[in-house]
Amino acid sequence: MLEVRDLHVQYGRLVALRGVSFSIAEGEIACIVGPNGAGKSTTLLTVSGVLKPTRGEVIYDGKPISGLSPEAIAGLGVTQVPEGRHIFTGLTIEENLRVGAALRRDRDETRKDMERIYETFPILGQRKTQAAGKLSGGEQQMLAIGRALMSRPKLMTIDEPSLGLAPKIVDRVYEVLTELRASRGLTLLIVEQSSERALKAADRLHVLRNGEMQLSGRAADLKDGAEVHKAYFGFTKEHSGEVMI
Amino acid sequence: MEPNSPFQRTLREFWPLLILSALVTAVVVIIQAFGDPIVSRSLTEALIRLVVVVALFIFIGNSGLMSFGHIAFMMIGAYATAWQTMPVMTKGIFAPGLPEYLLQNSHHWIPATLIGGVAASVVALVAGLALMRLSGIAASIGTFAFLMVFYSFYLQWSTWTAGQSSLVGLPMTTTPWVGLVFSLVAIAVAFFYARSRFGLALRASREDAVAAQASGVNVQVQRLIAFVVSAFLCGLAGGLYGHFLGLLTVDTFYLPLTFITIAMLVVGGMNSLSGAVVGTLFVSFAIEILRVLERGVTVGVPVKLPANSAEVGLGIILLLVLIFRRTGITRNQEIYWPWKPVVSVSSVTRRQS
Amino acid sequence: MAFALQVLIDGLSLGSFYALAALGIGLLFGVLKLINFAHGAFITFGAYALILPSAATEATLGIGALPAIPLVILIVGVVVALALLSEFAVFRPLRDSSPATLMVGSFALGFVIQNLIIMIYGGRPKAVGLWSDLSAGVTLMEGVSVPKLQLIIIGVTISLMLALVFFLKKTRWGIHMRAAAEDFRMARMLGVKADLVIMLAVAISGMLAAAVSLLYVVQTGILDFRMGVPMMLFAFIATVVGGMGSLVGAVAGGFAVGMLSILLQTFLPSDIRAYRDVFVFLVVIVVLLMRPQGLFLSSAVRERV
Repeated sequence: MLEVRDLHVQYGRLVALRGVSFSIAEGEIACIVGPNGAGKSTTLLTVSGVLKPTRGEVIYDGKPISGLSPEAIAGLGVTQVPEGRHIFTGLTIEENLRVGAALRRDRDETRKDMERIYETFPILGQRKTQAAGKLSGGEQQMLAIGRALMSRPKLMTIDEPSLGLAPKIVDRVYEVLTELRASRGLTLLIVEQSSERALKAADRLHVLRNGEMQLSGRAADLKDGAEVHKAYFGFTKEHSGEVMI
Repeated sequence: MEPNSPFQRTLREFWPLLILSALVTAVVVIIQAFGDPIVSRSLTEALIRLVVVVALFIFIGNSGLMSFGHIAFMMIGAYATAWQTMPVMTKGIFAPGLPEYLLQNSHHWIPATLIGGVAASVVALVAGLALMRLSGIAASIGTFAFLMVFYSFYLQWSTWTAGQSSLVGLPMTTTPWVGLVFSLVAIAVAFFYARSRFGLALRASREDAVAAQASGVNVQVQRLIAFVVSAFLCGLAGGLYGHFLGLLTVDTFYLPLTFITIAMLVVGGMNSLSGAVVGTLFVSFAIEILRVLERGVTVGVPVKLPANSAEVGLGIILLLVLIFRRTGITRNQEIYWPWKPVVSVSSVTRRQS
Repeated sequence: MAFALQVLIDGLSLGSFYALAALGIGLLFGVLKLINFAHGAFITFGAYALILPSAATEATLGIGALPAIPLVILIVGVVVALALLSEFAVFRPLRDSSPATLMVGSFALGFVIQNLIIMIYGGRPKAVGLWSDLSAGVTLMEGVSVPKLQLIIIGVTISLMLALVFFLKKTRWGIHMRAAAEDFRMARMLGVKADLVIMLAVAISGMLAAAVSLLYVVQTGILDFRMGVPMMLFAFIATVVGGMGSLVGAVAGGFAVGMLSILLQTFLPSDIRAYRDVFVFLVVIVVLLMRPQGLFLSSAVRERV
């Protein structure tokens, strides 16, 4: 469904990605983990068309999309829940959801989708006319996911859904995401810093460090963790003391 | 010559100062050699503006804050100087509200201009205590409001400033040579300020205010120092301007002059002293050409542009620079020693900024 | 009582101008982070569009001679066209620049437009009689007679504001515009058509400028190439006082500045009255220092200044 080939991205002179490749099959939950500054958010922003690669390409449904504008990519069914959620705090919850449906013209269906989201997240339905800025962190995360769903995406990318949330709420978020895959056949690309949490939910795991893909594999094959640890930190657990500076 | 002899090292270090001073001096000498009185007047005006633009650079270029208020300092300096130098007779008629001492005495323009500069910097010190607490857009709006406060005030303060009409009878002492001397002083002040620890600290805060603060730089104080120094030069320029025009009108010190001086700085490249100097020379020259075309010339066929073409042209030049070459003519770099690549830490950091 | 009403209506009608201009400026600041120094020039341009292009001292009405409805449509069209042209030629190429660069850019744009006006129409003020019968007085109550025009100005302003609120709160494009104003990149990632939204905001800002042009010419009867500038300056004050980026704040700020001006005008001792503008501009600096988020909104601060 999505294929990223030899992606290079730079911020000015700073190189963020150097030749990242991976692919995601339809209906899969893929997870990219990696330490701070590995290039995870850069990867997602490039997939969404906010950043332009200096080399390489992003192929979605067989077509290259890396030259398209963010709104055009959204139009193809790729939506993002960015790091920090970025809900529109000055808009009401309902208005946030309406912006999520920016590309749709089918009023009745849109309305129905909105009701479905209120069913999934009852707290949003109860407070739909309130300013979104008044929601708690976990509720904002739900709203950000709900807003992304309003576009009826085929591929949803999520940047650090657990950031700043209590463990219980993180569990709930992942529960919802797994349900969504089951109920809608949604393909998910999740980015996380903590690999354990991601390992549990993902079908496929990618480890990114220093702008390079260190390891890609089926999550089931990576359960023991030693390999992931090495890819993540660049050294194995046993030798960590020596290599660390 | 030894490539690293102390003499050459000094030469290299002071090269931007030397080359810019030489450039301005050469322009003045060449134009004066032709002796055209009209061109000579334009030259004087350009040199006065150069002082203002260099002053703007000291503040804007080093702090990274845009200021729309510096023309107020020029106005404060201009009037403060005129109150001292006007002939006693005209003072009583046009500025009857002046204190007795000023009404009875008239001073030489040189000490008067210096006092004008001091007056401007005192105002800058007081206003800066408040304004320098602002950052970003708020700072720009604040300086703009500052200009409006003083403009509105001087416009109404008719017993001192003649309000809507003019103070007249100022001795016309500002020649191109006077303008040159003050320009060279301004360039030197800007050069040595930028090299001083104050200039360095302020530029550090421009690049990263938090990091600069963490390493012990008091951003507010550093901004204030630059504000006061630049206000002093603007005050001097104001004094010169009065003695160039021979009369003072509050309206002279308003948005058009603000615009022209900012345009000069931005067109040249607002983060370098070379940008301030080159921008002023370039824009003055462009305006002069357009003015000539406005009056009409015959180059094979008669060419005559409509009135105000110079202003429209200047606006378009500025827009083109902003859109296509944001760092200005000089790309925000100083003019460096051209013969041998200089690799020293200070020059490398300066090139990047 | 009668006197208080008179002052109130004077303040509201002056405040209407500032509120309309502040809305135009506030809208672009919200969406583009642009402090539009060219807004005053837009206003002036709309006023001059009423007469035929000529440097003659006598003004000859062009569009201004048409019946009211086509006149309003054409003037609004002219200013909107100018605003959109500015968007394509200047604002869009500068979109990713710093706010300071944008400010200098719009300053340059305003300077160009103003000088083009002088080039075409000459620099002398011109008298224009447009709808002068509106200056006739209306008696509201015993001893209170105000020009019909003042009531129309207040009415037009309130209607335009309500229409704008409806547009922003209830329509699809309005909601997109608010979303884009708050978080431009996020809005685009959700499929909001960024360029269209910005063009729409620029066009509405032009429309509001045109409203000021018309009302102002009817009230003063004079065309002057500087006429938009004071309007714009007071509108800046209004947006700062109301909180940059807040449209409700801009309107409230506009009316507050209008009322304050009239009150100072009425109650200051005559020897200080001349310095009214000095006080008003000092207010800006004080507000920036004390409450950079504006005087009226405590929460929902959209844009940090």
